[in-house]
Amino acid sequence: MKTRLRSKPPPSADQRPLDFSIVRRLFGYTRPHAGLRNRLILMVTLRSLQLPTVTWWTATIISGPVARRDPTGTLHGVLVLLAFAAFTELCFVYRSRFALELGEAVVHDLRNDIHATLLRMPVAFFKRTPIGRLIGRVTSDVDVVRIGVQDVVFVSAVQFGNFAVSAVLMLWYDWQLFLVVLVMAPILWSIVRHFRLALSRAYRAQQESFSRVTAKLAESVTGIREIQGFVRQSLNGELFEELIRDHSRYNYDAARQSAVFQPLLELNGQVFLSILLVVGGYQALGGHVPLHALIQFLFLSNAFFGSIPMIGTQYNQALTAMAGAERVFALLDLQPDWVDEPAARDLPELSGAVEFRDVSFEYEPGRPVLSGVSFRIEPGQTLALVGHTGGGKTTVMNLVAKLYLPSRGAVTIDGHDLAHATSTSLHRQLASVTQENFLFTGSIRENLRLGKPDATLAEMEEAARALDVLDLIEALPQGFETPVGERGAGLSLGQRQIVCFVRAMLAKPRILLLDEATSSVDAVTEARVQEALGRLLAGRTSFVVAHRLSTIRHADLVLVLDGGRIVERGSHRELLRQGGRYAELYREFASVVDLEPGIGLTS
Amino acid sequence: MRRLLGLSLDYRRECIEVFLLQVTLLALGVSGLGLSGVAVDVIRSAVEPGAPPARWPLGVTPPAGWDASHTLLAIGGVVLVMAVTRALLSYSYQVLIGRLVHLKIVPELRTRVFDKLQRLSFRFFDENATGSIINRVTGDVQSLRSFVDGVLLQGLIMLISLALYLVYMLRTSATLTLACLGLSPVLWIVTTRFSRRIRPAYAASRELSDRLVLAFSEGIHGMLVLKVFGREPDEHARFRERNRAVLEQQKSIFRRVSRYSPTVNFISQLNVAILLTYGGSLVAKSALSLGELIVFAGLLQQFSAQVSSMSTVVNTLQQSLTGARRVFEVLDAPLEIASPREPRALERLSGHVKLESVDFAYPDGDKVLRRVELEVRPGECVAILGLTGAGKSTLLGLVPRFYDVTGGRVTIDGTDVRDLELDFLRKNVGLVFQESLLFRASVAENVAFGAPDASRERIEEAARIAGAERFIQALPAGYETVLDEAGANLSGGQRQRLAIARAILPDPPILLLDDPTTAVDAKTESEVLEAIDGARRGRTTIIVANRMATLRRADRIVVLHEGRIVEAGTHEELLLRRGLYFRAAALQAPDAESLKLLEAPRGDA
Repeated sequence: MKTRLRSKPPPSADQRPLDFSIVRRLFGYTRPHAGLRNRLILMVTLRSLQLPTVTWWTATIISGPVARRDPTGTLHGVLVLLAFAAFTELCFVYRSRFALELGEAVVHDLRNDIHATLLRMPVAFFKRTPIGRLIGRVTSDVDVVRIGVQDVVFVSAVQFGNFAVSAVLMLWYDWQLFLVVLVMAPILWSIVRHFRLALSRAYRAQQESFSRVTAKLAESVTGIREIQGFVRQSLNGELFEELIRDHSRYNYDAARQSAVFQPLLELNGQVFLSILLVVGGYQALGGHVPLHALIQFLFLSNAFFGSIPMIGTQYNQALTAMAGAERVFALLDLQPDWVDEPAARDLPELSGAVEFRDVSFEYEPGRPVLSGVSFRIEPGQTLALVGHTGGGKTTVMNLVAKLYLPSRGAVTIDGHDLAHATSTSLHRQLASVTQENFLFTGSIRENLRLGKPDATLAEMEEAARALDVLDLIEALPQGFETPVGERGAGLSLGQRQIVCFVRAMLAKPRILLLDEATSSVDAVTEARVQEALGRLLAGRTSFVVAHRLSTIRHADLVLVLDGGRIVERGSHRELLRQGGRYAELYREFASVVDLEPGIGLTS
Repeated sequence: MRRLLGLSLDYRRECIEVFLLQVTLLALGVSGLGLSGVAVDVIRSAVEPGAPPARWPLGVTPPAGWDASHTLLAIGGVVLVMAVTRALLSYSYQVLIGRLVHLKIVPELRTRVFDKLQRLSFRFFDENATGSIINRVTGDVQSLRSFVDGVLLQGLIMLISLALYLVYMLRTSATLTLACLGLSPVLWIVTTRFSRRIRPAYAASRELSDRLVLAFSEGIHGMLVLKVFGREPDEHARFRERNRAVLEQQKSIFRRVSRYSPTVNFISQLNVAILLTYGGSLVAKSALSLGELIVFAGLLQQFSAQVSSMSTVVNTLQQSLTGARRVFEVLDAPLEIASPREPRALERLSGHVKLESVDFAYPDGDKVLRRVELEVRPGECVAILGLTGAGKSTLLGLVPRFYDVTGGRVTIDGTDVRDLELDFLRKNVGLVFQESLLFRASVAENVAFGAPDASRERIEEAARIAGAERFIQALPAGYETVLDEAGANLSGGQRQRLAIARAILPDPPILLLDDPTTAVDAKTESEVLEAIDGARRGRTTIIVANRMATLRRADRIVVLHEGRIVEAGTHEELLLRRGLYFRAAALQAPDAESLKLLEAPRGDA
């Protein structure tokens, strides 16, 4: 049994390794921090001039006063050098601090943008996107971008200055010798060109395989119960190892590429040195070049060629950063399948008359989940949805909550078409309890706040009391302050569902969606909650899906859904009398429990 | 730290190779530099009358007949040859490091951490956030390995090159060397002080970003809830706040970090100043040739470059120590639940499960089960009904030892489960959970989760028993259909039937089902129940349930209340007792009026 490695998406941007549109866009992220950025640019400029100057001045002292055996001249020169060096290093303090800060600030903004983008995505997006991948965007991808901003641009700028200034100085000392440098230039260029292609490819593959590792890891952590329960540790370990090995090979490939790249760059400098010694030496012997110029060349060529590998290193990082930035931007550029219309208006305070007009819906084109559904319920009424799995019950709820838009037809509340209403104004007046029972890390109190951000403890207690579950929450180790672990860990499913229920009631919604809202609660507690619900639903429009048909007896309208169509509609009594599909379902349900004849049915 | 060194010892052969290569590289570099100094002196002695003749290092002198130009040509040639050699060696050096780090250390460490992770008790997973756990296998392992190549190797190379430069410099001029290196202790003090201050800051920053990632991933998982409550803006504000905290904390680190390198650099500049002043006077006294001074300057530059790279090494050391602590935390975490040293050898269990006066309390002292007595005979089916939080799931978890009892004992066939080999025990227990997690793999692979070698016939047989055959065949690629993350493309009932098939494929004598019908509707429930009926045949079955349809099928039912068994008996017996069980049943029973309507002859309403 092998986990198939997902085939990589085609390396999209391979042919344009340094994509300036990405760089430009990334640069745009420095705009909000323009002050910091400009100060940084100033520092970088200063430093790019300072570095070669220090080298040049050192060489000047040696070839001048030192060679002339002039101790006082040397001392003066050295004092100037020291003062200048102090200034240089002071600039360096700010250069690195500003760069680090700018990088972090950009990353901070990027993270916020990613988060905001994701929040705009409709629910369907999260159903089809592996979550590990999204997490990779805010972690590893954003991290390489940070390094890109912190180091690449500014270090290369400094090095480039170093490179250029030493070139100019050499040209000034002896243009003939400098021509030798120019001979090396095309060689260097072709080396860089060749390797940047290979490297960019390697880095992309590397990051892709890393996402696979993270995804597998996330799955194993969430599925630890299954893994231990089914004694899969060894096999799972092997599968993981395979992924890790696969990822390592990509890492190694990348490392090998740069193992050729770097030494080649350095070799260039060495070749130059030997040429310089021979050619320059001959010239000096012939008296064409003064010795002091040759000494300057020895120092300056060091600065000149020393900066090339540095730029090379930065280039590597630039490629990695680009790959990361590309993925981040790809995410930021995703357009939601739909958003609220620009002209969408806020819903007024709702009374809660919900109407479906010939609504059809499909998650995937060609596979309708609802077809031609029409119904209307009045404010304060309860609608029960009955039918088999896949009949479309949950979809009806999702459409009422505007989590999806109908493919055809319209959903209206108090006559307002939801398509023209803002989601926020709807969601403020709506709450749901589902079987998913999702809770966040934090205390129970913090989780309840989701229903009403400014709720006081007294309000929370009141909501719990109204639902007749206050004693259950208070019985927890720290009552409302009981900590909730990741995704509700630490609470049983039933406890989680109760918290979710209180959370929904706290929101005092006009419309309440209950999708198997008591499915995880134990039978005894459920009895209490059901009784309380009778009171709580009064005055609220509610949608109920429940497998226990005993709980929907009081619904004003029952819709029986099958294959996405309404096959029966009416009140509980009417439908029982009709003896159709609903009666059949009810008989099925009734056959399960036969309290002995005569024993009081529900009191 | 000692642990880290021990770990590096595992890779000593590679480290030595890398190390030898680096020494050769260094020697070549130094000789190249030395030769260029000689060249300067050769030129100078030829051009400037009165300049001292070139001094040759290591006792090598050119043949007497060579003039200056010949000598220069020879030097140029040698430098070139050395450069090529250097490039080749440098290539193999980097490849070697790459192989060591990427093909050895990192994958081996990751595999080890992951392996250990999988065996840790559930408590570890309850206590640590997913994001933090993931980080340990990815980021923290990376920082840990950088101890080997970024700290140990780099540090050693640094030391060797320093020594090599030192020897060369001392040979040139002892006094000059001492004068120039007088500042090194200052450098050393700066480095260590920096290291001590920055360490806690890095740890704090790690924690903060963990929390950020957790908030992020939670937000995504809970997107549906956020959207329904219209809380996207609050969620975004919460995220921004945490993001901000990371930024602020980082800034405070940056302030300190950015002061470090310039300080080190300036000290090196001071060195150059001393060199020029003092060395200049030596040249004036002809105690030193100009070429030697240039070589010396070059060496000093490399020397201080090495010392500055100390800051990188120190930085890496900080990060690797923080990473290492978090990795070792996992590797060292005690296996709270492990096989006994000498497990009782049993052929096959018949499935006689007995809980004898079992107590269970969580580490925080919360008592969940109190003196629970329960016996389930081979082939019997017992159902447990209980209130939310009554300890039903915990009770089931005691059998495969997800948790261990804190009092009393659990036996199977008379043997304490703690005396059985853990894997053997778990292989004898089939599990179906409330929410069964399926994996991103094909249907067949998911069913064969507990028995990966199972033949296709056995997989199909298990699917048949679990009533999953029909819907599997209706899937686009049948058994080869790849499920989405967590089986999202299946309905709750379909997922549970796959989970049942998965549980019975290895044919375990004991089957535990934790409220398996919670998440399915009435019609699907009966399908799942049929699947359970098929699955439990010939097995000892314990099933936690809340629904009458499930409960009444059991041979016996126990009612768990506040950690104790308060009622036990058959469905009929318990109904007659009019206790908790009766109350639960009454809620799920049809009311008299509805029954009457149902029975009434059909007519117009």
